[in-house]
Amino acid sequence: MSCYHLSRLLFDLKMNESRVKQAQTDFEGVMSEYDLTGEEKAALRAGDPRKLRQLGVHGMLCLYIKRLHPEFRDNIYWNQK
Amino acid sequence: MPLVSALAASHAPNILLEPGAEWEDFMNLHYSMAPQGSATRPTLEQQKKLRKDAEAAFAVLRADMEQAKPDVLIVVANDQFVNFFCNNVPTFFVTLADEVKGQFTRHKFQYRNHKELGRAILRKGMKQGIDFSFGEHIELQHTQVVPLYFLLPEAKIPILPIYVNTWVDPAPTPGRCYKVGELIREVADDSKERVAILATGGLSHFPGSPRIGEIDTQFDHQLLEVMRQGKGRSLVDTSVEDLLKAGDSEFLNWMVVVGSVGDAKAAYTSYMPDLVATGWGFVSWKL
Repeated sequence: MSCYHLSRLLFDLKMNESRVKQAQTDFEGVMSEYDLTGEEKAALRAGDPRKLRQLGVHGMLCLYIKRLHPEFRDNIYWNQK
Repeated sequence: MPLVSALAASHAPNILLEPGAEWEDFMNLHYSMAPQGSATRPTLEQQKKLRKDAEAAFAVLRADMEQAKPDVLIVVANDQFVNFFCNNVPTFFVTLADEVKGQFTRHKFQYRNHKELGRAILRKGMKQGIDFSFGEHIELQHTQVVPLYFLLPEAKIPILPIYVNTWVDPAPTPGRCYKVGELIREVADDSKERVAILATGGLSHFPGSPRIGEIDTQFDHQLLEVMRQGKGRSLVDTSVEDLLKAGDSEFLNWMVVVGSVGDAKAAYTSYMPDLVATGWGFVSWKL
């Protein structure tokens, strides 16, 4: 089964800074704007890239869930593409 | 003019990140995919030595390219979900923008884009059965700007970004990439300008995978030996699966350059596993 919408959310966390800011304060609201299954939402809430990869997302997109983790918020990686 | 210079170089972000805190950030993020991958974290001294060694390798490539006095540099790289996403993934893409820009941490990049050369490649492709995608806007990312920082820090000549899909299954075969390289050489032969070409990426690495931290140095050394012997043609029947198994999918970018140089032997090769994730490779062909 396609995980297009899940991938799209993570792509937006890479490319759309306003989406990132919104997700940092209202992630449930952001998730509601994508066509996600319950399992996908649970994996996103867990914040573990390995779980997202198991759902079929490209591994390098999975890492972008870490943008929402306080420990990784200022990671230099987000300042390049 | 025939091609006047051909280069290949890794584009790993940590080549351009500063040793120390920036490398730690890079490792912390990547190893979140596989905590065991951090077993071989390099020390600060090792990080600094790797940076120095990479700078030395890039200096050789830059000198070779500058000696060839190119009028344009074709940059063959893969997009990593910046310009293309799962709604549309081109196998090969030629940039027809007037200019191209990008940023990497505090480094900004801006180049004129040689869209006339891009159009010539597109037209030749249409005649020969290689139907490139094309478009008038792209954003440069680390896959181009990390090597460009060292090779073309001042925008003295235009570039021409060409993309190969090495990132989303299914990727093109090495043989197909080789044919694209042959086609580019034919276009260069017909051009009045001096054309240089650079492939970026690789070598062995497993980004975003539980195998992050593994580097298949043996496979990488075999590839470099083939290039030193001028036997790149022997790689056309390599399967994509074999490349993936070795973490060398970005070698598909290199296969375009390998096709463009034909049987020419690489004049310079350098290789250094970065102790983090990637076998850094650097090659120059004097044509």
